[in-house]
Amino acid sequence: MLKRLQIYLRILRFNSTITKNSHNIIPEDSSQQWTLEQSQIDNIVKSVPSLVNVSTDIWQKAHSIFTEYGFKTKSFTQIVAEHPKVLTRPTAKISDSLEFWRGCQFGENRVENLILRYPELLEISNNRKILSQIHALKSLVHTSKNVWTLLMNSPNLIHENIKTIEAKFNYMHDIMRLEIPEIVKSQAFSYTLDDIKTRHVFLERLGIFKPRSPKAPPGEISKNPRLHQIMDSTESQFATKVGLVTLAEFEAFKELFKRELNRERNKRSDESDEDE
Amino acid sequence: MLRQRSIFYLPRRFKHKKDHWSVVEKKKHPVDRALSNFDDFYGSVFGNRWRGIRAALLTEHKYIALVNNFGDTEKTCEELELEGAINVRLLYNITKERLPNGPSREVPELGKGSVDTKLRGFIRQQEEQEIASIYPKSAEEVAPSLAEIQFRDEHQTQNIAQAGEHVDPKKSLTETIKEDSEIDLQRIVDPEYGSGALHDFVPANRIKGMEDWIPESEHYKYYSNTTDFPLAIEPEEEFIFPENLQLYSYEKGNCSLFAKPKKSQTGVLTHFLMDGASVLPALLLDVKYGERVLDACAAPGGKSLLMLQTLHPDIVICNDIQESRTNRIKRIMDQYLFDYEEKWHGKRILITQGDARVLEDYELYDKILVDVPCTTDRHSLMENDNNIFKPSRVKERLRLPEMQSAILTNCLRLLKPGGSLMYSTCSLSPIQNDGVVHMSLQKVFSEYGITTTVKDLSRQMKCFGHLFRFENPKNLKYGQMVLPYLPANFGPMYFCKITRNE
Repeated sequence: MLKRLQIYLRILRFNSTITKNSHNIIPEDSSQQWTLEQSQIDNIVKSVPSLVNVSTDIWQKAHSIFTEYGFKTKSFTQIVAEHPKVLTRPTAKISDSLEFWRGCQFGENRVENLILRYPELLEISNNRKILSQIHALKSLVHTSKNVWTLLMNSPNLIHENIKTIEAKFNYMHDIMRLEIPEIVKSQAFSYTLDDIKTRHVFLERLGIFKPRSPKAPPGEISKNPRLHQIMDSTESQFATKVGLVTLAEFEAFKELFKRELNRERNKRSDESDEDE
Repeated sequence: MLRQRSIFYLPRRFKHKKDHWSVVEKKKHPVDRALSNFDDFYGSVFGNRWRGIRAALLTEHKYIALVNNFGDTEKTCEELELEGAINVRLLYNITKERLPNGPSREVPELGKGSVDTKLRGFIRQQEEQEIASIYPKSAEEVAPSLAEIQFRDEHQTQNIAQAGEHVDPKKSLTETIKEDSEIDLQRIVDPEYGSGALHDFVPANRIKGMEDWIPESEHYKYYSNTTDFPLAIEPEEEFIFPENLQLYSYEKGNCSLFAKPKKSQTGVLTHFLMDGASVLPALLLDVKYGERVLDACAAPGGKSLLMLQTLHPDIVICNDIQESRTNRIKRIMDQYLFDYEEKWHGKRILITQGDARVLEDYELYDKILVDVPCTTDRHSLMENDNNIFKPSRVKERLRLPEMQSAILTNCLRLLKPGGSLMYSTCSLSPIQNDGVVHMSLQKVFSEYGITTTVKDLSRQMKCFGHLFRFENPKNLKYGQMVLPYLPANFGPMYFCKITRNE
């Protein structure tokens, strides 16, 4: 009963925030969202002094390209502040890369968020290679939205060898028995396979992480710590909060496990030598 | 079309081969059995600390290097020091000087320790599980209290009287049997007509065909709390680290490896690598000059070698039960002792093959080291070969404490009055450790009238605190224990020093 009341209250609050926001938006000058004013330029120049010599013309030109692709002025200013090179790059190239990202079918807002977080993505030049990379990612995680979440969490995937990505994915999917939504929502792909293995095996040996039974129903909540808890934490956080042991123990384990992995690798290469 | 395909064709049910992936995945190896057993048992004994111990047990262990005194000693020591290893003797002496004179351990009150209560709870739980596994459906009916049974009986007799011949098909088996027992009394078979065989089955108190089945909970009952022997625990006096013994180790947190032993100029190997914790029992047995020492279960011989390297003992008798194991001792001695065949064999070392439970050289030895066969926790979790958790070795495993206690009892009798004995296991189980010591002390007093004193080594252990991680002495009744800990991954090793009173 109480719970139902809480839910009802939450819905009420949510609705009220929506109406509030819409009230805020309507009276605001809609043109302000899409025009670049001198005061805004001055603000950026204050924080990034190297842009003093750039003429207003170039500013407006770049701005118009971004607005064409649905970027708000606020986003544009943020991108420039983060990544001043945008202004000096030829406009054709910028529109090319924007066109490319729009072609990935993540959705308008998502592309904006992605570029806002990683403005370096505008620097891409070899579109075909990256497109194939994105296709490969999509074949792993199925939907474009998942690919977008992956890129938001670990932008290094654009340039990483697809084989290493696959190896990481297979490890998490087949050995840790995690499901795609959980894999996608963590920054695990920013780390090497050995890092992932180290943290996983450490938890497994502590008896904290048990792989899900293959016959468990797909929606069942497991008692294992989530992947983002495991991977997106600093070493001391991981050791004390997730593993519930001291940092010294995890550090010793890292060293011992590295040796163990090397030994295994040597053994395997020896065996393959013998086969040949 | 009607042609017969083959005259040898036999219809057979399709079955996967043993190496098919689905069979391999389902297979439960002894290692897995050991792990789930430890999770259950040690999880309840050690609580939250078990996690760390578990991870350490499953990861590679750490060594201590014992430098051979018979070939290139100085050179090896120098090399090891260059690698960053620490001389254990120097470290011990420095720590000992700095250690304040604190109070030693008090004699714990038996039966009140936290381990005792934990174990009692665990045994009860184990028993219930086993009963439930045998009588799956009526498990809750097997264990009700006496009052409940009485109440139910009264209730049922009333019911029967009321209902007469009415049969309830939903009734469970035990209930029906109970009711039927009334009827059974009414039709007692006259023994004259030869129905003796019936009495094998009625009343049913045992499962036919499972006479020698031992439930797992039986194993835990070896741990008893009653004391009816004079128990004395004294702190051990001064322990002097043998001058001639060169042990090297890395400090806590340093997981470097030692170089492999090489052949020295004299033809023997330069150093011996052994699990760090095995050093302690042999060291703290404190063999003095000219003493006669027995290593009751010696293989593979590392501990005997350590005692020989102190150059103190007059003679070391290395005993083990199997020939393959005594051969291993021989090989190691040959590798590490210069001129073994001429100068050592039969003069300062005697390798014998025999059961430590039946050795009969009573009151002959000054010092005895008893490193009994145990569940060898680390080994059981790593190797499938010859694993004690194999289903075929269940009986052996459950009766281990009995064997350990028999060995320890007999070895106490082999001791000269005033001599001392070191009991050690490489297991974390309180049953195989304190439980067995307790059992043997009791037996040796009641059957042979031998009184003993348990030596408390906790002060000496503090001096080794930089290298090892020890269990808090409060949690142990008699001995000391090295806990596996990732930065100092030695052990597990339990040891307890017992002196025979004069």
